[in-house]
Amino acid sequence: MSAPPQTVPAPAPAAAPAAAGGDAPLPVVDQAAVPFFEIETLRAREFIPAAKEALTSLLKEKAEGNVIRPVFNWAGRNSLFPLHWGLACCAIEFAAAFGARWDAERFGVVPRSSPRQCDLLIVNGTVTWKVAHKLITLYEQMPEPKWAIAMGNCATGGGPFRTAYSVVPGVDKLIPVDVYIAGCPPRPENMLDGVLRLEQLIKERRD
Amino acid sequence: MRGVELSAALAARFGDKFLGLDPFPGLVGRVRFDPSVARALFEYLRDEQGFVHLTMVGGIDWVDHREVFYTLWSDRDRTYLQLSADLPADHPTIASAVPVWPGANAHEREAWDLVGIRFEGHPDLRRIFMPEGYEFHPLLRSFPIHEPEELEVKARSD
Amino acid sequence: MWINMGPQHPMTHGLWNLRVRVEGEVIRDVEPEMGFLHRGIEKISENRHYNEVITLMDRCCYVAGMSWEQLFIQASEQALKVTPPARAEYLRVLSAELQRIASHLMWYAAFVQDLGLMTPFLYGMRDRDLVLDLFQSYTGARMTYEYMRVGGVRNDAPHGFTDQCRKVLDWLLARFVEYDQLCLGSTIFRKRCDDLGVLKAPEAVAYGVTGPMLRSAGVRRDLRKDRPYSVYDQVEFDVPVTDTADVTGRYLVRMEEMRQSVRICRQCLDWLDRNPGPVLADHLPRWLGAPYAPVGREAYLLKRNYPTGLGFSMVEEPHGEAGAYVVNDGGEHPYRVKFRSPVLINIWAAKRYLPGYRIADIPPIMGSVDVCVGECDR
Repeated sequence: MSAPPQTVPAPAPAAAPAAAGGDAPLPVVDQAAVPFFEIETLRAREFIPAAKEALTSLLKEKAEGNVIRPVFNWAGRNSLFPLHWGLACCAIEFAAAFGARWDAERFGVVPRSSPRQCDLLIVNGTVTWKVAHKLITLYEQMPEPKWAIAMGNCATGGGPFRTAYSVVPGVDKLIPVDVYIAGCPPRPENMLDGVLRLEQLIKERRD
Repeated sequence: MRGVELSAALAARFGDKFLGLDPFPGLVGRVRFDPSVARALFEYLRDEQGFVHLTMVGGIDWVDHREVFYTLWSDRDRTYLQLSADLPADHPTIASAVPVWPGANAHEREAWDLVGIRFEGHPDLRRIFMPEGYEFHPLLRSFPIHEPEELEVKARSD
Repeated sequence: MWINMGPQHPMTHGLWNLRVRVEGEVIRDVEPEMGFLHRGIEKISENRHYNEVITLMDRCCYVAGMSWEQLFIQASEQALKVTPPARAEYLRVLSAELQRIASHLMWYAAFVQDLGLMTPFLYGMRDRDLVLDLFQSYTGARMTYEYMRVGGVRNDAPHGFTDQCRKVLDWLLARFVEYDQLCLGSTIFRKRCDDLGVLKAPEAVAYGVTGPMLRSAGVRRDLRKDRPYSVYDQVEFDVPVTDTADVTGRYLVRMEEMRQSVRICRQCLDWLDRNPGPVLADHLPRWLGAPYAPVGREAYLLKRNYPTGLGFSMVEEPHGEAGAYVVNDGGEHPYRVKFRSPVLINIWAAKRYLPGYRIADIPPIMGSVDVCVGECDR
């Protein structure tokens, strides 16, 4: 398995059927003829200006900062996959948020069991020094871009166990944290509010 | 009633190694014994007095000495019994109860981890809660705890 | 070959690590690894006022906070020689039984989800939220209540609480039938759970296993019956027992326990309706009635009046038998607090009931144990 010599051009990707039929003109839809329904969500309303801006900027060939980033942010913030990992009390409220009453999945928050599939680490509970390096490992296993939420007082600053000999006083000593949620434990709607604030942060992301 | 019988039986069996049975409301009592007869006492209580279930094992640091206590449950009498032995602070060692009650395994590892009581004959006496290599036994009185006020003062001076 | 299952694994329901030695698919040996959530509750308790320890008790076992509050309060009252009024005892028993229902519903939601069924998770969480709403109406919190005090409870139930509580209990009784249809009526569930994780009675007793795991093995031991604490000798209920000793047996025992808890709750509600009265003992020493720990000169003056004593309490918690041993040497803080965690021992006995089964059997078996790592590691 050696690298191909420089002179040989790289083989074209085998799956390139996208070109076939790409030339066919898209059907033109008369906007006035389509009945207008009040069912488009807030998110779709956000998407339409973003897509409009993307298309206009593509024509002006300055895609990177203005175009791809907003669309990328839009896609990322509406499908935040947190790691399915319960640490302590807040994990129970974390689970309750996925129950029938709060239904966190309507925000696109779907817990995944493998860190390779996640982009959000919700630290829901007390972090001890014994689990600290495992938490860092899990965070580093997550693919970029990734975010972290410190849920509850324990993850934020040690909470009622701040004086204990085995507790990390705040998970931000270990990993970068984007949103802190107060409460001991926070209620499920409090957690959802934290997720929505994180979505706001992602929306404003420009780097 | 049960306490008086048990006290007489233990005195007849263990002589001066049985140091007395203190009354304890809600329990048969609190048996104080010499740690040298620990293993024989455990077997006697399980086989002949019906204390089949070991509920908890723990240690107390009384600074000048350490105390190890056991709580037993008897299915026959539907009651608890507490055992207590004093160990010297510089050599806190007692025979393990694992051969008598297999469930003592986790309890004794916890007592070793937190209070530093060594159980001879335990199959696997390692730390259970604190990470391996931790140097202290945190529930000893000599192990300090930071009061919140101290932390605040420290943070202000930083 | 040794495999690590945890500390991040969907099976664990918390922070612990199950090391498994396998030959092919078959488990030969296991070793649970604990301590990832060891928060030093016993050490912090030694430096806190008695009523301040209750804050930690809620967080110690976060799915059964009321039971652990009752545990510590009973031991402290024995050590401090305080007697609570009868109405407080009934409120405590009512709270503990509602907590048992909530805890078992949480277990049901998590356990059946492990088997691959999603509907029971939604059902269980929905009905658990109704019970938590009841808690919220008289304690103000969903999970961490800080409701009980040395010498009684913090406040009485609000007006109209008993009627609302009865309505919720009626609703729950109807739902339990639905749960059984959903699970026991399913061939897949039965094939997955029957004759799995068998732990027979002699081994269970020798290993110190308690709670529904022990009762599913045919041992009729329930501290509420055998050594009645609080007012459990005033209420009627049965202790459910099966002799299958497997995962299905544990399911059946927990389901029947919830029905019995509903029975106890109704009797407590009837009693509470008939007998108004105080909920906090009025002869409390001032330092116990105070909402704060006295400091400085006040503490010095009061210290001469502190009693000394030992307190020992065992309660039948949803997971098993929990115990507390409080040593009061006459200070404003307990000298030593020792807790007995049922979950630690129930997990520890995995050395006995896991070998011989296959890797795919681990989630149902460990799910049926009902793991709460907070109380296990403390």
